Amino acid sequence: MLKEYIKKYTKPLVQYSILDFDGNILESDNALFPEFKKKHIGDIHPFFEIITPLLIAEENETIFSCIHLNIENKEITSDILLQTFEDGKHPLLIIHDLTSHYNNYQTTAQVRNESVINSQILELKNTYLKEKESFKNTFIANFSHELRDPLTGILTFTDILSKTNLDLQQKDYVQILNSSSGFLKKMIDDILDISIIESGNLELSIEPFNFIELLNEIKFNYKIKAEQKGLEFHYSFDEKLPEIIGGDAKRLRQVLTNLLDNALKFTKDGSITFNVSLNQLRARKASIHFEVTDTGVGLKKEDLDTIFTSFSQVNNDDTIKGTGLGLAIVKYLVELTKSEIKVSSEYGKGSTFSTNINFVATPSLKLDKVKSNKKDLPSASRKYNILLVEDSQITQLSVLKILASNGLFFLDIVTNPEDALARISNIDSEVDLVLMDIKLKEFQGDDIAKQIRKLPERHQRKVPIVAMTAKVFKEDLKHYKKIGINDVLKKPFNQSQLLDVIARNLK
Amino acid sequence: MKVSKKIVLLGHFGVGKSSLIRRFVENTFSEDYKVTIGVHIFKKNITIPEQGTDVSLVIWDLEGNDDITNTRLSYLLGTHAFIYVYDVTRPATYESLESEINFLKEKQKNTSITVVGNKEDLVTKAYLKQNSGNFGSLTDLYVSAKTGDKVDLLFSNLAEALIK
Repeated sequence: MLKEYIKKYTKPLVQYSILDFDGNILESDNALFPEFKKKHIGDIHPFFEIITPLLIAEENETIFSCIHLNIENKEITSDILLQTFEDGKHPLLIIHDLTSHYNNYQTTAQVRNESVINSQILELKNTYLKEKESFKNTFIANFSHELRDPLTGILTFTDILSKTNLDLQQKDYVQILNSSSGFLKKMIDDILDISIIESGNLELSIEPFNFIELLNEIKFNYKIKAEQKGLEFHYSFDEKLPEIIGGDAKRLRQVLTNLLDNALKFTKDGSITFNVSLNQLRARKASIHFEVTDTGVGLKKEDLDTIFTSFSQVNNDDTIKGTGLGLAIVKYLVELTKSEIKVSSEYGKGSTFSTNINFVATPSLKLDKVKSNKKDLPSASRKYNILLVEDSQITQLSVLKILASNGLFFLDIVTNPEDALARISNIDSEVDLVLMDIKLKEFQGDDIAKQIRKLPERHQRKVPIVAMTAKVFKEDLKHYKKIGINDVLKKPFNQSQLLDVIARNLK
Repeated sequence: MKVSKKIVLLGHFGVGKSSLIRRFVENTFSEDYKVTIGVHIFKKNITIPEQGTDVSLVIWDLEGNDDITNTRLSYLLGTHAFIYVYDVTRPATYESLESEINFLKEKQKNTSITVVGNKEDLVTKAYLKQNSGNFGSLTDLYVSAKTGDKVDLLFSNLAEALIK
């Protein structure tokens, strides 16, 4: 009985066959494949074609693992053993059907390989995105640099032109030139800011500053702007606000003016309200609430998520100008303070933007500790020799006009390292300060600066060097400092910025 | 006259070895990735018109491995030509190209090796040019199992070279 059951239920998993030395099948139990008889082994499946050369009269065992065979419409995954003998006995071929075992292995390998490939693809996508982002930021930085030279010329000469004798109509024209170039400068600054922020290169400073003075100044400017547009301007500053706080005054001003500019831009009738109040004042921290409300066009619900995205403008009104970067910059800057910007809006009725920002606030913060970058030009018993290393004619002319109108300076202009070093080394006329364009067409200003710092005479190699550049990323500034550049004048610059930086650095 | 030649495809997993063979043997392609374990063996007869010779290509599709030294050496017995396949979009599949080829050369001194960059349909010509330094000077052909581009050429050139 048992024998019958064994015969009935045992599933054969091994097949034995005997071959001759030419590869013909002499004998087979056909346990797996019934037609495995009286054929050449090579005709059964292409795998066996490699068997024939191994059929020699030598004692040898060759094992082939995990071979997929499809014979007589039956598919198996098998281990195949070929045993040859040295005593002239015919070779033995054993096929082990291990399909079930290998199927399990296949499932495991499938999961493992897919997971590895997916993680590699994800890593590649990240790298690609980073490269794309870096390319975009480099492109923006370079592009804005190229725009800055001509813009410096426009700003400088518009300023100079406005101080000449003009009739009323000409004054109007100059005013338009002035506001248009100012607008252009603001856009370029915004684009550069976004590229600096998005590349993770922006760090907020913490310096004490007069907060109330800053709020009053902003209020004063925007009251005028609102009234010029026929809008009411309301404001409310909490009496409990501390006068001096520690934070990044420049970036706070940028957040507030961007919000107010945005309100002005989208409000045709009604009012703009600017509220600042104190949430909390603790031992070392002041949490301050800022809120700008307008009665402008408002936002649709579906637009609320996209208004803080770079280059997005939800309003398609062509009369409203801008890059769509103002609110994106606000969002980034507010997030750098570990806070968030909130917006509530009703379409057609207006919007409110608000945020809470933490500042350093301690009684020890005094106004007299506020650092000032402003410095008057030293009273001159002589004129100062300024050396300008610059190959852009527009910038050359701009600097020349500004310094000439002041009357305190002699200006030498050179365009290459040899002339720069020769001029500084001239012992008859000592150079008091070098204005160095960093990106000359044929030379790098920072290389020239390095050479100056190696000059043999102490007073020559110690001459103050001011870099003129649009490249003001964090790593750029570190680099300038490292190679001995004393200060940086960001392009485009105006008259007072140029004179300020000279005054700061003259010995 | 009919001759039989064994061609072995090797390379990392997921580079498209099975897809290249399926494209050549059956002229089909599937986006679904099914991991090959062990070896699948296919056969295709082609005629080399110039010599008037029929060649039976016995193509061994080996399981992908990120280290060629783990390949079962019994699979390499009697090989006439290797096709080493990598994926032009995945650096992990070609980063050790040179050492993998050297391993093969060491194991089978007189066997030809054709190095193939698959999935060329996913990248631009400019990308291939920019990355040629990474692929090394070893690449013989860029192909696409998906579009079929240069797949027949790969096998027919190889067959022709093998019967010379």
